[in-house]
Amino acid sequence: MSASNLPAQPDGARERIGVYVCHCGSNIAATVDVEAVRDWSAEHLGDRGVVVARDYKFMCASTGQELIEQDIKELGLTRVVVAACSPHMHEKTFRGACRRAGLNPYLCELVSIREQDSWVHTDRTAATAKAEAIVAGGVYRVAHSEALEPFRVPIDPATLVVGGGIAGISAALEIADAGFPVHLVEREPSIGGHMAQFDKTFPTLDCAACILTPRMVTAGMHQNITLHTWSEVTDVAGYVGNFTVTIKHRARYVDTALCTGCGICQEKCPSKVVDTRYEAGLGYRKGVYTPFPQAVPKYPVIDVENCIYFEKGTCGACKKLCPTGAIDFDQKDEEVTVKVGNIIIATGFELFDARRVEQYGYGRMPNVFTSLEFERMSNAAGPTAGRIVLRDGVTEPKAVGIVHCVGSRDRNYNNYCSAICCMQSLKFAHLVREHTDATVYEFYIDIRAPGKAFDEFYQRVMEEGSVFVRGRVAAISDTVRLPDEEAHQGRLIVSVEDTLAGVQRRIPVDMVILSSGLEPATDAQEVARRFGITCSADGWVIERHPKLDPVATMTEGVFAAGCALGPRDIPASVANGAAAAARVLARIQEGELALEPIRATVDQERCSGCRICNDLCPYSAIVYHGWEQVSEVNPALCQGCGVCIAACPAGAISGSGFSDVQILSQIDGLLTALGGAPPGPAVEEREAVPA
Amino acid sequence: MPGSGQADPPSVREGDFLREVIAATAGDSRLGCCIQCGTCGGSCPSAADMDHTPRMLFAMIRAGLRGEVLRSTTPWMCVSCYFCAVRCPQEVHIPDVMYAVKAIATREGVMPDSTAPDFSRTFVSNIHRYGRSYEVGLAAKHYIRHYPLRLPGMAPMGIAMVTKGRMGFAPHRIRGVAGLRAILARAEELERDGATREVPA
Repeated sequence: MSASNLPAQPDGARERIGVYVCHCGSNIAATVDVEAVRDWSAEHLGDRGVVVARDYKFMCASTGQELIEQDIKELGLTRVVVAACSPHMHEKTFRGACRRAGLNPYLCELVSIREQDSWVHTDRTAATAKAEAIVAGGVYRVAHSEALEPFRVPIDPATLVVGGGIAGISAALEIADAGFPVHLVEREPSIGGHMAQFDKTFPTLDCAACILTPRMVTAGMHQNITLHTWSEVTDVAGYVGNFTVTIKHRARYVDTALCTGCGICQEKCPSKVVDTRYEAGLGYRKGVYTPFPQAVPKYPVIDVENCIYFEKGTCGACKKLCPTGAIDFDQKDEEVTVKVGNIIIATGFELFDARRVEQYGYGRMPNVFTSLEFERMSNAAGPTAGRIVLRDGVTEPKAVGIVHCVGSRDRNYNNYCSAICCMQSLKFAHLVREHTDATVYEFYIDIRAPGKAFDEFYQRVMEEGSVFVRGRVAAISDTVRLPDEEAHQGRLIVSVEDTLAGVQRRIPVDMVILSSGLEPATDAQEVARRFGITCSADGWVIERHPKLDPVATMTEGVFAAGCALGPRDIPASVANGAAAAARVLARIQEGELALEPIRATVDQERCSGCRICNDLCPYSAIVYHGWEQVSEVNPALCQGCGVCIAACPAGAISGSGFSDVQILSQIDGLLTALGGAPPGPAVEEREAVPA
Repeated sequence: MPGSGQADPPSVREGDFLREVIAATAGDSRLGCCIQCGTCGGSCPSAADMDHTPRMLFAMIRAGLRGEVLRSTTPWMCVSCYFCAVRCPQEVHIPDVMYAVKAIATREGVMPDSTAPDFSRTFVSNIHRYGRSYEVGLAAKHYIRHYPLRLPGMAPMGIAMVTKGRMGFAPHRIRGVAGLRAILARAEELERDGATREVPA
């Protein structure tokens, strides 16, 4: 370490600025002559207020930070410029050093001479000149920085959890057990989600209902959890710590205060409907129903589209026979408003519609089933009471083909791997072998079994005698073509290349199970807009950071868990739920949240009320006051991205930390150092110009 | 680009043939993206008559088995039905790759031990002469040249097709044969220029 100290501060410079140039080991020093940058800064930027310039091998190390702290105290620095890595890496580090030394952290400027210089150049002389210019820009800019204080918001201790599948239930229970109120909203009549439909869970073969229903009951009875089933969130207003959420309770036509869940209404209802939701189309339910016996809450709902009373005004059997008089045909949808501090989105997935892969014949050939249909069939409480049979309901298959990657890993449908299908397909093979004597074929591209005890399960299924054919199924047909196929008339023929043998095969089976991939809920984009979060083009919620912040979204106070984030299995969904809950609990415990003060503000005098900024704001942070005809930025929602500032035709919006004078000064600094004096008067003499 | 500007040692030049085929294929073949899933081989109506499935041919191209690939019957048996291209999860332009392999093989005179290339030649000469396919002439010429003894066995099917209107007995000549020939001549000219195009390293 060495330093270039200047004897005295020249007249005219208002600030006392320290410049610190980092070697970053050899990351910067190998390409940039850091000593030269240090000396240049001391020599040429003295009249801009630089009183000390130093270099150090690792500025981010505690010894490096102490250098800055010491200089602030001993030399009375009022501004600091660190020339090192990207602000993404260490802005917080150096701001922290300034704060410890008593300098407002926002008076520290981190300029990047690594990502924007040493890493992208090879010419040492040119890279050094560029580093000098970058430092000059930072010095010119920091003189105009203002001391900022974090924006503090109180956190309402209540939490909204959207989606009552296993991820949402897990999140709700964690928060409720910690003693804080939760509103759990579910669109269906019961919580439980897809897991309630499954038979067994891989790789342990636990019964899904046996492990799920205790959680459902606990959530339903928990004193801190308010269930809003058969309900949807219709509006979200406010910001982190202080959301106002409107929830629509759809009319159940059952008075939950009177209903005991005895089930007589369901038993007596004469309207029988194919249950496309819970039973995946394989079974029936009534016009008044609970989706399954262990439903939470136990109260049924009336499906008005399939109710004789609502269609014809007659019947009313449920009302006549209900022992407590709980049926109420006059019930109306109602909206309730709740206040919450944080929101967890756990809206789950939908199954890829296998009809889209026409050559697999789902919906055309009866004995082609989807994975969810097989789950219901295999379930002892399902429509076939656990018997694996063809669509006729009686015939046991002699051969079953399980097709992997249906709608996944395919540029014609979804590019991504749905992650759960391999293990699910192996589970199906096991269940078919357990219930029948059928030969099972697994048609796969690759077996992806990277979880705990997953590959062991794969081994087990192989040992049980399932046949593995490595090849993606080309087509499934119900017509025989070749002379030696005559005996298989009426069966299904699976066309596939056995890629390990290098030959085309046509394998006759009786039943095909399509391991359909997972897709986001069809209204995922709409839900995302409602909560002010963003989805990828696929429709999955985008995490704040895919690795280091996997359950937070870009919007403060809104978290996500489970398959809303992308395909994942039950353990991962539960872990996500708990992780999101931990993030929320930390906030609740703190009571208030310090937000970055980098915010946009609208100068109400200059705002013309054109509203261009309103729709551009990605965080829905700008409100329009119709009476005054001006826009205003809600500082708790604003993330300081600057879109509105750039867009405002009147130049009425400014950003703290990114004011026009700061940015123009930085440009002046860069140009001056590169030898091209900027045209016109120095920026200090100019009025901040409208964009 | 890795290794640009200096020659790779012979042992790591395996990808050369893959690059050669990609460069010889019109448009973006996406051949490098093949995941060897076998959707093409499972879909192919001619797979049983090929010595390698299309998927296997692509693996051989990657492995640099230039001679084996050029001598393979696979591209010559391709009937351009496009089943594979429609279903390929990686959107590899499989028939276009088949054309490219055939073009390289033709240019170098490396042919499989099969009558298939000659069948293609006869087909193309019919196109030159009549401007469209002439099935009776094609089948008759091919069988007379290669399988004269099998010809009588084919007669019943041929007669049935003619009587049912599925095949014309006499060739049908299009109106603008001269124009088509000019187009084909120009295409061949472009092909020649294209063939001398530099293969990207």
